[in-house]
Amino acid sequence: MKKILALVLALCMIFALAACGQSAAPAAEKPAEEAAPAEEAAPAEEAAPAEEAAPAEEAALSADDISDEMTSADGKYEIAFVTDVGQLKDKSFNQGTFDGVKLYASANGLSYKYYQPANGDQATDDDRYDAMKAAADNGAKVIVCAGFMQGNALAKAAAEFTDVKFVFVDGWAFDGLDNIAGIAFKEEQCGYLAGYATVKEGFTKLGFCGGGGGTNPACCRYGYGFVQGAAAAAKEMGVSVDMNYSWLYGASFSASPELQTLANGWYEAGTEAIFACGGSMFASVAAAASANDGAVIGVDVDQSFESDTVITSAMKGLSDSVVWALTKAYDGTWEEIGGVATSLGAKENAVGLPVATWSLKGWTVEEYQQMLQDIIDGKIVIDDNYENLAGTDSLTLNVIE
Amino acid sequence: MTFLIQQTLIYAVPLMIVALAGVFSERSGIINLALEGIMIFGAFMGVLFVNLAQTAGWFVEAKAAGNWLALQGFEILAMLVAAAMGALFSLLLSFASINLRADQTIGGTALNLMAPALVLFFIRMIANQNTLQMATGDSASWFMIKKSTLGFEKNADLGFLGNTLLNKVYLATYLCILIFVVLSIILYKTRFGLRLRSCGENPQAADSLGINVYKMRYAGVSISGALAGMGGFVYSLTTANCTSNGDVAGFGFLALAVMIFGNWKPLNIAAASLLFGLFKCIAAAYSSLDINGDGVYMLSQIGISSHLYRMLPYIITLLVLAFTSKGSRAPKAEGIPYDKGSR
Repeated sequence: MKKILALVLALCMIFALAACGQSAAPAAEKPAEEAAPAEEAAPAEEAAPAEEAAPAEEAALSADDISDEMTSADGKYEIAFVTDVGQLKDKSFNQGTFDGVKLYASANGLSYKYYQPANGDQATDDDRYDAMKAAADNGAKVIVCAGFMQGNALAKAAAEFTDVKFVFVDGWAFDGLDNIAGIAFKEEQCGYLAGYATVKEGFTKLGFCGGGGGTNPACCRYGYGFVQGAAAAAKEMGVSVDMNYSWLYGASFSASPELQTLANGWYEAGTEAIFACGGSMFASVAAAASANDGAVIGVDVDQSFESDTVITSAMKGLSDSVVWALTKAYDGTWEEIGGVATSLGAKENAVGLPVATWSLKGWTVEEYQQMLQDIIDGKIVIDDNYENLAGTDSLTLNVIE
Repeated sequence: MTFLIQQTLIYAVPLMIVALAGVFSERSGIINLALEGIMIFGAFMGVLFVNLAQTAGWFVEAKAAGNWLALQGFEILAMLVAAAMGALFSLLLSFASINLRADQTIGGTALNLMAPALVLFFIRMIANQNTLQMATGDSASWFMIKKSTLGFEKNADLGFLGNTLLNKVYLATYLCILIFVVLSIILYKTRFGLRLRSCGENPQAADSLGINVYKMRYAGVSISGALAGMGGFVYSLTTANCTSNGDVAGFGFLALAVMIFGNWKPLNIAAASLLFGLFKCIAAAYSSLDINGDGVYMLSQIGISSHLYRMLPYIITLLVLAFTSKGSRAPKAEGIPYDKGSR
């Protein structure tokens, strides 16, 4: 009896392994098959030069058709992407940045590969350095690194691999390291626009759930801009706005039951719209919004495709700027960005709200474009020093720590 | 208050059902440390089923037509899948500890180590990332029962009870409570229950009266696995937006603690899990808890650090365990492999 059972169990294991082998094989073949259509998609992308910053949503759509993994013939991968904490497919920051890598690489027939530093949310500088080293060892000529937390690892890797170019998204420049291009965004501008739009839409009880625990400069700028925009609209309309402002449960930029309960609690207590500012945190906030018929403001990319609760998204042109930087890395104009910190804002058409999926009724696209122009012209000045975060006469800020 | 009760239930119910899972196994004489692992596996299988069914377009029409009864059926189906898979997974434990007479603690720990690794391996294969989500939509829009789904107006006032029990709830919560009650009665009031319990107290005596101890223990562990698997899926459905990432936030281990300070008795377990659920809810939502409905958020205004609130559930667990463990008594024969020869 015992022997028969043991035999059956052993057979089960063998079959289970065999099943794994079968399903793994097609997965490995897939990229090769998809490589061809990906190259066909190239002309469409070239038609929209990166400097003009094609509408982000168009780029994001076509990037989804390109496989995340590819197999190069010689085993080398020219363009590497090292992810920030959180997932590759977070439908936000990582994914948006990687879309740029995929678009440029497939348009130019280059090989690409992504690397996720070990230990997930607890990744250390060493883990990130190891990922960059692995990328360089695999023949990377350009490494795109997402997220300001990669700074230390990047400095070490860039000093070691001097002939590799590094694009540091959400980052800054390093003295003496001309092979790093720091690209940052003026998130306060799109945060401002999102805050203004939300209050114009008639919402007066707002929330902000930020990622990174309050230490991520990009998220801080988003949040501060959001507050300023909401306050400006409230003052103009003569209403008073309440805003819950929290960094809780966002340290790892991931969805969590606690975050969902927090958001549920806010909606239950009257909050009407929450700015979910941090990668996969969006999923928790959107779930709470869906349960309570609330509204959500997306971040980084147009997230209206993820949930019906999204009213607008504070976008930055991640994919476009990566394409832009990669173009400079390959066409010999790297000196323009290498070793300097580039800050992209409304003027470069790198931040804004999604016009193609506009669903707001209280504020029209024309009014939005007028305001965008005012920001470009300097008629509206938005403070980017988030240390100054505070409520105003028309906006009560309720910071939750 | 409504919010507090609903959120407490959401946290308490998975805990309760998984603690009952522990009871069924331990009362039959097998220590089931693998609750956490089985929960993770069950959650994964349930979410995978939902994902695959959505991809295959099974309930898409029902969703589009607003046929909420069909969607609730979908939910129940997913729960059943999770339960079946949990039972299947627990067979590994029963085989090792009943037939091979292996150390039950180590067998359970092995499953706990195996489940997250296995699940993450599959998720990475399927979704190419660390989290498996629903193919479309979110759990609230697909499975949650709201006023509007029941045909009431959006602003209709259902009274306190109606608002609490009929608005923004999951059918799974009530089903679990029902299952909990039915199984507790079975454990105490039926022949099967008595036999099962006797195998955990004195298997030799039970055997001498013609009860097949091996069968009883297999039954106990399998029921345990089914409940834990279902509990895992209910947890991910109600609190984690129907996603699976190889983690259930230690709820399986908490369920073990709840079982111990519930003294292996269903009623005490229900009370203990409600207590824990309440503090878990306070920890996550203290800033917007309006207990008596006067618009004052007392808990956030006392000025206690949020870290303290977040520690509370665990501190309370420790405290209660410290005070109650003296009087708690485990089934006598648990952990000892049954050997017919030794009398």
